[in-house]
Amino acid sequence: MPELIKVRPTKIELVKLKRRLSLAKRVQKIVKDRLSILTMEFLQTARDTVEAKRRSLDEFSKLYKALSIAAGYHGYMALEKELLATEADPRIAAGSRNVAGVRIPSLELVGNGRKMRRYNLTDTSSWLDRAAQLSEESLRAIAELAELQRSFELVAAEINRTTRISNALEYIVIPSFQVTINYLNMKFEERDREEKARLKRVKVLVARG
Amino acid sequence: MPKSLQDEGRPIQSGQSLHETVLQHCLAGELRVVNAGLPQRLKRLSDLLDEEYPHVPCNDGSTHLFKRSELKYLASMLDADEQKTLFLPMLIELGENQAEVAIICQAGAEERVVSRALDMPVTCEHGRIRIYRPQLALLRRKLRTTTAYLFSARIVA
Repeated sequence: MPELIKVRPTKIELVKLKRRLSLAKRVQKIVKDRLSILTMEFLQTARDTVEAKRRSLDEFSKLYKALSIAAGYHGYMALEKELLATEADPRIAAGSRNVAGVRIPSLELVGNGRKMRRYNLTDTSSWLDRAAQLSEESLRAIAELAELQRSFELVAAEINRTTRISNALEYIVIPSFQVTINYLNMKFEERDREEKARLKRVKVLVARG
Repeated sequence: MPKSLQDEGRPIQSGQSLHETVLQHCLAGELRVVNAGLPQRLKRLSDLLDEEYPHVPCNDGSTHLFKRSELKYLASMLDADEQKTLFLPMLIELGENQAEVAIICQAGAEERVVSRALDMPVTCEHGRIRIYRPQLALLRRKLRTTTAYLFSARIVA
């Protein structure tokens, strides 16, 4: 049951309430529109996250196999010696973007990852090249998954918040304005009727003389 | 009819209740939030491709970072002259009509990009390309960082 707002039963308050009701309805439109956009983004992000997770697992599985084959071919000691030279800091461009008022992280691996292939090409086989290529792809998949997963969480939290606002507007604020406006209208009608009755009574009294 | 507080003999408050005040603050914040992430200015695709970290500053002081892969995808659709006419991020206007959205189109490049991304012909009328909501999801999937939402004043008019 919507609550009656505590206001003086005056015409000015009625006008103010009508203005507030119109503002609340306009804001409700924005909130609902935002909610629909956030829901669309959420579903899209959820699908993409599942896809990215599956892809990253595939990449890691392939990488592990390629690395195992390379280790079997070269031997662990030789492989480790070669891989010592490949140590490089992958650069990730990290920033943010805004989706309907939610700040979402944006991560992207910078460069094509060629810096990671510093091993001696004459002493190594194509198995190691394959493993290096797959490791670059795995890094890319990790960055993508990290971005999507965080976006997923942030958008979900925002949907919760926006839903609460939307529900508050729909079930509390707007109905309470409407109830109060109705109450004030009835109050004024009642006053008018009282006034008419009083005037009739006065007229009768005057006529009696 | 609900019982008036005046009828119960309680003091009348002409001001707002705490509950109402909090809600009004929330609503004001909501209006501020929706368009806070809009870019202060748009940049040409050709300029963004030359930047090390392609980005635009936003109204709330933050930056909107573009993904280089998306910029390259856009560049692959357009020739060098069209790249100079495409301003990013492309603004998606959410209007009064709930079923469709409008992409603000300043030159023909936007039309070509949207057409290629959706794999269907689109037309620009009065500076707007109108698409349906399900198509918006497809477009956003391909152009995640190169598009931004704009909550138009016409929604609340």
